[in-house]
Amino acid sequence: MKPSRFWLGTTAIGLYLFLYAPIFIVTLHSFNQARFGAGWRGFTLRWYRVLWDNPQAWSAMQNTLILASISTLIATVLGSMLGYALHRRWFPGKRWVAWFLFVPVVIPDIVMAVALMLFFSLLREVIPWGELGMTTMVLAHVTFQIPFVALVVRSRLVGLDPAYVEAAQDLGATPWQTFWRVTFPLILPGIVAGGLLAFTLSLDDFVVSFFTSGPGSTNLPILIYSSVKRGITPDINALSALMVLASILGTVWITWLQQPHKAKEL
Amino acid sequence: MSRSIGLVAVLLTSLAWNTAQAQANKLNLFIWSEYLDPSVVAEFEKKFDCKVTVDLYEDEAGMQAKLQGGGKALYDVVVPPDQTIPGLIKLKLLAPLRLENLPNLKNLEDRFINPPYDPGNKYSVAFQWGTVGLYVRKPKDIKLDPSWGILFDPAQQIGPFVLMDTARETIGAALKYKGYSLNSTDPAQLKEARELVLAAKRRSQGFENGVGGKNKVLAKGTMAAIVYNGDAVRGMSEDEETVFFVPREGGEIWVDNLAVPAKAPHRDMAEKFINFLLEPETAVKVAKFSQYASPNKAAKPLLGEEDLKNPAIYPPAEVMQKLEFLQDLGRKTRLYDEIWTQIKSK
Repeated sequence: MKPSRFWLGTTAIGLYLFLYAPIFIVTLHSFNQARFGAGWRGFTLRWYRVLWDNPQAWSAMQNTLILASISTLIATVLGSMLGYALHRRWFPGKRWVAWFLFVPVVIPDIVMAVALMLFFSLLREVIPWGELGMTTMVLAHVTFQIPFVALVVRSRLVGLDPAYVEAAQDLGATPWQTFWRVTFPLILPGIVAGGLLAFTLSLDDFVVSFFTSGPGSTNLPILIYSSVKRGITPDINALSALMVLASILGTVWITWLQQPHKAKEL
Repeated sequence: MSRSIGLVAVLLTSLAWNTAQAQANKLNLFIWSEYLDPSVVAEFEKKFDCKVTVDLYEDEAGMQAKLQGGGKALYDVVVPPDQTIPGLIKLKLLAPLRLENLPNLKNLEDRFINPPYDPGNKYSVAFQWGTVGLYVRKPKDIKLDPSWGILFDPAQQIGPFVLMDTARETIGAALKYKGYSLNSTDPAQLKEARELVLAAKRRSQGFENGVGGKNKVLAKGTMAAIVYNGDAVRGMSEDEETVFFVPREGGEIWVDNLAVPAKAPHRDMAEKFINFLLEPETAVKVAKFSQYASPNKAAKPLLGEEDLKNPAIYPPAEVMQKLEFLQDLGRKTRLYDEIWTQIKSK
């Protein structure tokens, strides 16, 4: 083996170990009989059973899925439209819109969260709406999801050969037909990938969720975070393991969709 | 595309309708996780035909921010610790309690009625109390000197240790070690405390929250940690080689309180809930679940000797004398923030 290959391999293994060891340990502890994570005391599925019987975890799971599905649906539609407009159309202030798209991506979560909370609180002063709850949570999540979807869709459009669209127009297709028959199928993998990215972001978000949630709209990240701080019941490890599993499956799916040869089949 | 927009509209409407459906008897509780026995909540729901929604927060700063951001009109009962109450009152985040609705207030021990942080129980009622001390794995060969020196004096160190990841607790421990008040605002004393903590940090394994520190002692990853007593009591039941004590120099005592946010939507139910928690039978369940001390005088006979005689839960009189409440230092909190930033960043 060439030395450069050896170093590449070692670095890769070290990097993956660094990334995945903590996740592996949480998963391992979800099968640990010890109640307080004090060493390994044998294999058990007990904490998954406890989790199964925990009504709070179930309602949090339900909230998480409702929140992630609805916000992803809205963000995917709006984000795709934005990504398309940014690529194809010229409109006044386009450069500013393109720049501002990055702000929610780079802004710290906590700033975004507090800003949204204050915004809703201000809104309540003006109109009789804006009570913190599931609806405000959905709006908040849509806010941080849109840029991600738009950026993914836009980069898909950038990689698209303009000849397809030109050919369709040459052959007499209306802009509407061109979009639905040619552009849309070609960028669909990008839209789906953007949507899945948005979905996993919503699934994992704690900070924005905490500050925009209301009574009864606790989602899994809030439940997990507040339980870990007090850290008493190991069923939270089981819950974390399940969430990691869901996120991994989502990510694998995105990667699969982004492979060019697979994308053509879609 | 228009079809999916239509779908979204339908989903949103159903969502709004779902949240708008109001029931007469409801209670929204905002509390630390795993702090209240779920069976107590279930019993209350049954007795008062009321749906209780439990929401969680993980630190008091988050709780306060949430109340300020509109939570004061969403939640009915919150559980703030003693030193935050004057601040919450000043920010008008709490509703005054109508004491005529709380006949069970008489069940509390005298020292919890009319506390200094809320004279006359105008806004709050004591829920559970406890201490902050050291949780230690007993060393095999040496006799343990119950002192904060285990952290702050290299000669007394019994092995690796962790500090607590909150400013007032860790700086407070250093102040106590030097014989000063936990609430000192004397710059010279605070500077001494800062040097002590900085030196200890270099010898330590870093900072952990209370539960993290306790778990590390249990897992034999460290020898000593600053923890809340209830967590330590749970740990001691797992491993008899570990022990909790308030060091002889003294330490912190705290009381978590029940309070009603300023614009609570179900104020009557909130007071019924507080009164229910003050009943002796309920108070016993609450205390047994969390392993913290109950401020409820009437519950004492029902608690059992084992808990009452446990010095880690109910400190003996000579320890009680050396315990100090944290005070809300107002603008001088800045002094602690500054030191803490220096400690954490060096």
